[in-house]
Amino acid sequence: MTTRAFAAVVEARVFSQRHTLVYGLVAAGLVGAVQPRGLAAPAFFCSLVGIVAALQQGPGRFMDLDLCEQCAPLFGRELARAKALVPCAIAVVAAAAYCATASLAGWRGIPATFAYTIAAAVPATLTALCATLRTGPARRLYLVMAAAASGIVVAIVVWTRVPWAAGAFAALAAFLALRQYGEALARYDPV
Amino acid sequence: MRGATFGDGCDTVGPVSVDVNAGERVTLVCSSAREAAITAKLGAGLVKATAGSVSIGEFDPRVQPVHCKRIAAFVPHAALALPEMEFERYIAYRAALWNVDRRRATAHAKLILERLQGVHEAFAFPLAGALITPATLVVLERPQPAYAEQIVAAVGSRSMFSTHLERAAAELFANVAVQA
Repeated sequence: MTTRAFAAVVEARVFSQRHTLVYGLVAAGLVGAVQPRGLAAPAFFCSLVGIVAALQQGPGRFMDLDLCEQCAPLFGRELARAKALVPCAIAVVAAAAYCATASLAGWRGIPATFAYTIAAAVPATLTALCATLRTGPARRLYLVMAAAASGIVVAIVVWTRVPWAAGAFAALAAFLALRQYGEALARYDPV
Repeated sequence: MRGATFGDGCDTVGPVSVDVNAGERVTLVCSSAREAAITAKLGAGLVKATAGSVSIGEFDPRVQPVHCKRIAAFVPHAALALPEMEFERYIAYRAALWNVDRRRATAHAKLILERLQGVHEAFAFPLAGALITPATLVVLERPQPAYAEQIVAAVGSRSMFSTHLERAAAELFANVAVQA
């Protein structure tokens, strides 16, 4: 996949999900002002924003984009990376908005909170992407796994106080989820 | 396609056997819109046959889907959602996906649109988007019979495979003369 094709997929997807991006940013900013302390609130809220953005990538919501991408000579894993960037970016923007307003409300642990929030939201978002190509119990299972991934990162940080363990878990979960999404996209039949 | 069948647990389509040679126009009458859509997608290599075989050029969509998509361009039946897609942005997007030069693609698309005079933009844009690619086979899912002449003129010397619900529409696309 060329950089140009990658950029085109990301740009088209960001444009089509611009409303979600704005809603996520505003909502995260408001929640950050109301609940400016702790890790659980930003991690779970931004994970939720990422999961919603991921579910919007499912077949049928932006049919023209889906069809153009499926018709194009792109490998599933390449397309998966481009498509995954958008909901992850939305989750990161939500985390930034949350931390910005929490900082204005007097919270001091912003850099660590921002890093842990991203570590929780990104694997949750990528796992939720896998749910978009499945139906029934498999879809529900992936959504539960997405919530669990976020919860595990928070639990590692809160209970073990070992930041690198949370980071390692998040990286592993995100890698496996993205790989799985690429495989599913390559096998997917758009009927 | 040789006895190509698609089954997803809900319903089964096929077996379909069709040969499309270089420069040929082949039409197929299907019994339902779903069958027409799946058959067209089988022919374009977007959907993988669960039984039988599909070859696009020398490639099998189950093994080399990317190679197949370089040869076959698919045009859906559904109209493009125009408010979301303004012409130049749409063509630039399609050109980027196929790695075609943007300015050449836009100029080419404008020429194609001239050939598609009278065709509603919502149907003309996807066809123009498919024809700016280097694909040598154009697969159309239930193209509008009212636009048969313009579509065949725009497709030109490329091979064409289309699915239809009515025999009259299929014959129209098979027999319409190509304008010089």
